[in-house]
Amino acid sequence: MITSPKDKITTSQTMVIIINYILATGILTLPRASVEKVKTPDVWISVFLGGIVAMIAGVIIVKLSQQYPDKTFYQYNQDIVGKWLGWLISLFVIVYFFTISAFEVRIMAEVTSLFLLEGTPTWAIILPFLWVGLYLISGGINSIGRLFEIIFPITFVIFLLVAFLSIGIFEIDNLRPVLGLGVMPMLKGIKTATLAFLGPEIMLLLVAFMYPSDKKKAVKVVLVGIAIPLLFYVITVVMVIGALSIEGVMTRTWPTIELMRSFEIPGLIFERFESFLLVIWIMQIFATFTITYYAAALGLAQLFKKSMHPFLYGLLPIIYIIAMTPKNINDLFKFGDNIGHAALFLFGALPITLLLISKLKGNKA
Amino acid sequence: MWENLISYMPHWQVFMQGFVAFIIPFLIFKLFNGLLLEKKKNGKIEMKEYTNQQEPDQQFSQETVDQFIGDFNKDFERMKKELGHNWDVHFREFQIGATDIRAAIIFLDGLADTEQINKHILKSIMERFSNTSASFFTEGDKLQSIMKNNISIRDVLEESTVQGTVGKVLTGYTALFVDGMPNALMLCTINGKTRNIEEPISEAVVRGPRVGFTEKLSDNTALLRQQGENQQLSILQMGVGKRVKKRLVIAYMDEIVDPELVEEVKKRIQTIDLDNLLESGYIEQLIEDNYLSPFTQVQNTERPDRVYGALMEGRVAILLDGTPFALIVPVTINMLLQSPEDYYERWLPSSLIRLLRYLAAGITLFAPSLYIAFVSFHQGLIPTKLALSMMATREGVPFPALIEALIMEVAIEILREAGLRLPKPIGPTMGIVGGLVIGEAAVQAGIVSPIMVIVVALTAISSFAIPQYNAGITLRMLRFVAMISAALFGLYGIILFFLFLCSHLVKLKSFGVPYVSPTVPYRAGDWKDFMVRMPLMTMKRRPKLLQPKDSVRKGEIRGKENNSYDHQSKR
Repeated sequence: MITSPKDKITTSQTMVIIINYILATGILTLPRASVEKVKTPDVWISVFLGGIVAMIAGVIIVKLSQQYPDKTFYQYNQDIVGKWLGWLISLFVIVYFFTISAFEVRIMAEVTSLFLLEGTPTWAIILPFLWVGLYLISGGINSIGRLFEIIFPITFVIFLLVAFLSIGIFEIDNLRPVLGLGVMPMLKGIKTATLAFLGPEIMLLLVAFMYPSDKKKAVKVVLVGIAIPLLFYVITVVMVIGALSIEGVMTRTWPTIELMRSFEIPGLIFERFESFLLVIWIMQIFATFTITYYAAALGLAQLFKKSMHPFLYGLLPIIYIIAMTPKNINDLFKFGDNIGHAALFLFGALPITLLLISKLKGNKA
Repeated sequence: MWENLISYMPHWQVFMQGFVAFIIPFLIFKLFNGLLLEKKKNGKIEMKEYTNQQEPDQQFSQETVDQFIGDFNKDFERMKKELGHNWDVHFREFQIGATDIRAAIIFLDGLADTEQINKHILKSIMERFSNTSASFFTEGDKLQSIMKNNISIRDVLEESTVQGTVGKVLTGYTALFVDGMPNALMLCTINGKTRNIEEPISEAVVRGPRVGFTEKLSDNTALLRQQGENQQLSILQMGVGKRVKKRLVIAYMDEIVDPELVEEVKKRIQTIDLDNLLESGYIEQLIEDNYLSPFTQVQNTERPDRVYGALMEGRVAILLDGTPFALIVPVTINMLLQSPEDYYERWLPSSLIRLLRYLAAGITLFAPSLYIAFVSFHQGLIPTKLALSMMATREGVPFPALIEALIMEVAIEILREAGLRLPKPIGPTMGIVGGLVIGEAAVQAGIVSPIMVIVVALTAISSFAIPQYNAGITLRMLRFVAMISAALFGLYGIILFFLFLCSHLVKLKSFGVPYVSPTVPYRAGDWKDFMVRMPLMTMKRRPKLLQPKDSVRKGEIRGKENNSYDHQSKR
């Protein structure tokens, strides 16, 4: 009973953490962001390819972490590139994590104040959200894993239900022609689509928390962990474009919610379903927020070799201030793009370099 | 460039808010930590006081004062001094048979069995030796053994200390003093008062044994033994209570239970340092993991079959003398929505009823808050017709939805409490009449809307559909928190409340077992007995979350798959 190993998560928990981390703002923004780039109905192919790219990056990250199965990224990067450079890299990763958590919080506040709570000040929306997150994280990775396992089935069921209900206004013509303007527009969208799949980088830390006997399954975990959000995203994009058409998507800030608002099913208890979508979406944002917040706090704790609690509290005002910095929604989206670019470097280019260096070093030793 | 950067500099208010974001949880953390520390400190102080008291006691006992001297007159006087002031302690002096050897018995009227004293003690001593001479006793050291061997009482103990004798007499033993015998003989004549075995009122079932525990510990353990011959059922005795000593037993299945769980239970019971434990509720509160949590972490039950079922799953039961409520640990959240009847009925109806209970729990928790959220924030999210009719009925209501809901919810809680305490014949009538009158009159007077009355009534009924009384209370309590957060933030507030509740639940543990198991981590095997109850033939294993030593419930797979040990350590 009491010996139950602390801070160990099961395979399914790891998988669910990845899924919940990836599923976040993308559900609402991916259709518009990618359509703006691609401008043809082939967006869903871009999204699919973006998912594949994320899978490759995820596998590289896992391979890197498996070289040091008992250490987190913050601990082992110093072994690879030396103390100071490793310290610096860790710092960048930490900054990345708490910046992304601040970004998620702000997006959540924007959407909530637009659709649910008109007139409520942003700080009043954000503060309780931060505190609930703090309360969860103070329970450690086990609590996070368990909570994610509770909200994942809820998300899954409600999302499929809502997507299925919107089939009434779905028109296949909106998705035609496939590759009408050739392959190029579709390729342009891949980068944007890949940015929606931010999340596998958490495996840099999670492999250390997995049970020793499960660590070899980590590749499978990350593949399934990306495949499920990929499914969600493809369904979202197909449904949104099918219902609203390319032009309709580009003119709306939150096309997915618009989709939910644009149909009514009389006879059921609820006629409109955007509240359902918002409910699961806020839960998903909460998941992304908590896991990145945790990753940042864990990084600081391991960097300074202290307990995590002071960092948890110390990060709160920082996250809040970063979240409040973008002046308006366009600023916010630009901010999100910049985070994405940072991620491309930090978790696209960096892990493969580190993997190569560690392989070379390993061969020497 | 710089100007651009400076334009992104947040307003000073943002910094203030950031500070607030930090300081409030920090203060709450400090407060709770302070509470916890205080508790620890108190524990230490108590221990010190306790040792202070204990030391003189020990010296006292070591100074031979406590020992019997062996002189009949002096010892008897001593006992009279210790116990004589009590009205219910009786002293009876007599002579053995025809000899002039003096003897005396001391017993407690009421607790000691008069019939046994008359028939088996007095009669055997007085009549049996009527033909023996005094010299027969005084030769050698035979007196004690003769006495021991010739009294037809099932338990005879020797006691050489005054305190020990006093303690035994006060629990119903009869003390026998004989002139020339160095020690007192303690004869077990305990015949405590108890009531008949009845059907438990708090946990009624349609189908199932009509047996409930009583206030007598030996009856309760006997009820467990009666479930069938089982050599693995271990019942260990532990004493609790510093001033009022009470017997407590822990019961478990030797070859099923995780030994570490048993050790943990023992350890926690040993740390109980309290004068008196009136009811097992005291133990429950003293051994639970988190006393700040609204959720009950120890299950109480009056039903032997429920206890036995839990034991067979690998849990541990705690039974206290003097209460019909046994405790079961560890508890997981699904147990609070289960009834023993689920296993007695066929699986389809029981599964449906179980799902119904989960629905009822959801309604109890969220119905009024959803009403508040939709009425005061999101009229647009509900169907137009419904919204219109809701608004129409609310037209004359002068209060905001929260106040309206609070008035009705508090009223119904008061009704429930009043109905509970009233004499039985009046209780239900009062509840129904009160509910009807208040609901009807409140609507007529325009204080609340009819839909609100429906919501409140539905909530109340749902909360009574939860088989565990204290789990129902927990949900009803949390409902008010949900209502307030809904009044502040609408649907967003409800989501936050749900996330907060889940965060609390996933952090909570009951004796090392996560409280939310078997919901998470995903373990398909344990889900057979979670929201639905699968057919019995599919439930071949005990719940893995308890890490039982022998996980196989049904025999046929024992040979095939008993190599499941390596999976068990994961949680």
